[in-house]
Amino acid sequence: MTSKKTAKIHFADNSQCVDFNTGCHSLLDCLEQQQYEIPFQCREGYCGACRATLVAGQVTYNEEPLAFVRDGEVLLCCCKPDGNITLNLK
Amino acid sequence: MNPLCPVRFLSDFMSYTTFSRNHNNQLQEPMFFGQTVNVSRYDQQKYPIFEKLIEKQLSFFWRPEEVDVSKDRLDFQALPDHEKHIFLSNLKYQTLLDSVQGRSPNVALLPIVSIPELETWIETWAFSETIHSRSYTHIIRNVTQAPELIFDDIVSNNKISERADAVTKYYDELINKVAVYNLYGEGKHELNGETVHISLFELKKLLYLTMMSVNILEAIRFYVSFACSFAFAERELMEGNAKIIRLIARDEALHLSGTQHILNIMQDGKDDPEMAIVAAQCRDEAIKMFVDAAEQEKEWAEYLFKDGSMIGLNKDILCQYVEYITNGRMTAVGLPTQFKTSSNPIPWVNSWLVSDNVQIAPQEAELSSYLVGQIDSQVNASDFGDFDL
Repeated sequence: MTSKKTAKIHFADNSQCVDFNTGCHSLLDCLEQQQYEIPFQCREGYCGACRATLVAGQVTYNEEPLAFVRDGEVLLCCCKPDGNITLNLK
Repeated sequence: MNPLCPVRFLSDFMSYTTFSRNHNNQLQEPMFFGQTVNVSRYDQQKYPIFEKLIEKQLSFFWRPEEVDVSKDRLDFQALPDHEKHIFLSNLKYQTLLDSVQGRSPNVALLPIVSIPELETWIETWAFSETIHSRSYTHIIRNVTQAPELIFDDIVSNNKISERADAVTKYYDELINKVAVYNLYGEGKHELNGETVHISLFELKKLLYLTMMSVNILEAIRFYVSFACSFAFAERELMEGNAKIIRLIARDEALHLSGTQHILNIMQDGKDDPEMAIVAAQCRDEAIKMFVDAAEQEKEWAEYLFKDGSMIGLNKDILCQYVEYITNGRMTAVGLPTQFKTSSNPIPWVNSWLVSDNVQIAPQEAELSSYLVGQIDSQVNASDFGDFDL
């Protein structure tokens, strides 16, 4: 088993930083485990409730989301960070 | 037109045909107001997202009869009068919304849609709304012995009829003007003593505003009603109803995703450059539509709670939820938020809105997607009391 480097999640509006646990299904799961309150609904990429802005870095989608995602936006429920990222949750 | 023959034949002007004999490249057609779709083909798609939405919607298929609502009758009878009012008024509003949505996307959009995958999405979308309508009858039949009193009131109750005006206004104008356009084309027409101006650009504006109005219906109005349905179920009341509303909410999340895609494609202008101009010109009006809808929903909240609140939900909390959800929906279609409320005042609603599919153990009896044709899933040891072996 290859040891995967943990990605760090930074936030645009504060100095907090969260480690992405590679066992998490998605960014949404990871942030919820860290007690962040994120809007959600379907949790499979079709409703768009968990839309957030990706300020820096890259994400990989578990499956292609059906909800509309603009450039620079991510759906937290169905993606994982690909390296360190900075999010704006507002 | 031949001056010697002043009689115009309808066929000279009718631009709608159910199967155009002209070859066309559907990849080059705009979403709306291009050549009408002829071959329903999906081997080549301009916007594959609409076929993905169709597939998702089909995978969601459900029937109201699968959900047991028999316990709700007892719950309903035990509700205090002001809660009966909240429950029934909410259900009437939902019935109105789905009556409109079960037919209007078809009537308004099918005559003007120009690409097959979107045409089929519209039909699939509207079909699923008809399932919602049937489920309200399933619920209402169960809670009352006189369903006709409830259905009749949807037409005669002033508060409901105000809601109907707001949700049908844009649809009706688009439907009527497209009918004139298809018969007589662009220009100034004298119809029954009235002058009607028809221009394609104005029709596109009307289409854009209609899509906004539909998005508001699905993304705000429905959600306010869902919150009320789930507030009962949070107290373990009317749970059969809540199971059905969960299935409806899952469908609606997909539908509003569809309208958000259509609106964003229109704004982008690559599909039809004129639509980007339309979107820019209609921006202020679109913002006003969202704000007005939020106000109407707040007035509705006042009517719902006029005789008293219920545990977990009152007028003020519901009004805050209206503001919160309106902000999110405006952002999703590229409009600036208009309200200060930035956090969800009723976060427990989210867990009712989660899609069933993400549950790890689908055999759980509580899972509505697993409950097929059941009457009562609860069996106690006492049920075997009179068994002889």
